[in-house]
Amino acid sequence: MVTKTEETQLNRLENQVDNGGGGAWEYLCLVKKLKVRRPDKVLRHGLSILNDPKKRSALGPDVWTLYEQVSIAAMDCQCLDVAKDCIKVLQKQFPESKRVGRLEGILLEAKGLWAEAEKAYSSLLEDNPLDPVLHKRRVAIAKAQGNFPTAIEWLNKYLETFMADHDAWRELAEIYVSLQMYKQAAFCYEELILSQPTVPLYHLAYADVLYTLGGVDNILLAKKYYASTIDLTGGKNTKALFGICLCSSAIAQLTKGRNKEDKESPELQSLAAAALEKDYKQRAPAKLLLLTSALKSLKTS
Amino acid sequence: MGSGFIVGVLGVSILAHAAYSTVQYRGLLKIMEDEFSNPPMNVVIELLLGLVLCMWAALTVPGKFLSIHPDSEENRMVSLPGNLDFMIFNHRAKVFRSEIDMKLKL
Repeated sequence: MVTKTEETQLNRLENQVDNGGGGAWEYLCLVKKLKVRRPDKVLRHGLSILNDPKKRSALGPDVWTLYEQVSIAAMDCQCLDVAKDCIKVLQKQFPESKRVGRLEGILLEAKGLWAEAEKAYSSLLEDNPLDPVLHKRRVAIAKAQGNFPTAIEWLNKYLETFMADHDAWRELAEIYVSLQMYKQAAFCYEELILSQPTVPLYHLAYADVLYTLGGVDNILLAKKYYASTIDLTGGKNTKALFGICLCSSAIAQLTKGRNKEDKESPELQSLAAAALEKDYKQRAPAKLLLLTSALKSLKTS
Repeated sequence: MGSGFIVGVLGVSILAHAAYSTVQYRGLLKIMEDEFSNPPMNVVIELLLGLVLCMWAALTVPGKFLSIHPDSEENRMVSLPGNLDFMIFNHRAKVFRSEIDMKLKL
């Protein structure tokens, strides 16, 4: 969960390290903690630390986690020989480690040798049948080959055992959305919201899926979830504000023919529109005209 | 930090002095065989002063207070962490690797 302060801190450190100031190790620790994906920078700065024996010894026992982090970043940037060297160093230090075995499996994946990677993971799974990371890598193999039905099947089986793993639920929801199976994706997002109700981005994704499904009930529910997103982010999430405006106009269009019982008050839409205009005036004043004309067309349609 | 610490020490010492003078007052009352109803006025003033000083020190010495609202400007969630357990490697970076020619020296 990346908060705003952490994001600003990450950007500041990134600028500092990119322009030659120190602090590479701090940056790498922050990237590892926040779980963001910055392979090129991690590779560059990690190698600058690892190639310098003085800095390497200054790290102490943390150098091995750095080797792991750099090897994964190297695989992400397709510098497979760097990854192979890092894994060799780790193997020399920890000969019979299953963590290093996992890294070797990931290297096979990065090379594109899916069958060998599958075999490596199955053999590792025989020794530790309940290792969640190995199960997840098998799902990743199926996903990388484009074999989405197999990936869904593996992931469902994994989730039967490890029901509390919200990363896996999120991955399943994203796979369903990419296959346009929106009802199943909505179920996954509901599980996520149940387990972590204070994360606004799950509410936002759920509202998006509901809005895509369509139908008056779904759009009403989507509007409620956009509103809860705005509540949880203190009104700063532009996507949710737009969502409210679109939902209100969609509901107005869909219920045009029905009898005019009083729906919810139109205050929500006007408040959201006002908040959007204020935000645009502050951050992108050149596009304010575009925004006001778009909002006006939404209100009249 | 330094001044807050000194103020805190001063506040604690004022409280200790107030306690000591109350004990002495009670001893005096025992000699005079009177009832112990209230501590004398100056002790009460000293107690209030010590309270104010200690509270001020307790609020300033530990440092900056952090916001606890989940929707405040600093604490709001901006993005979810990337799902690194399911990361796949056959993306477009395979064709871009020209500028990154690095080696691990040992």
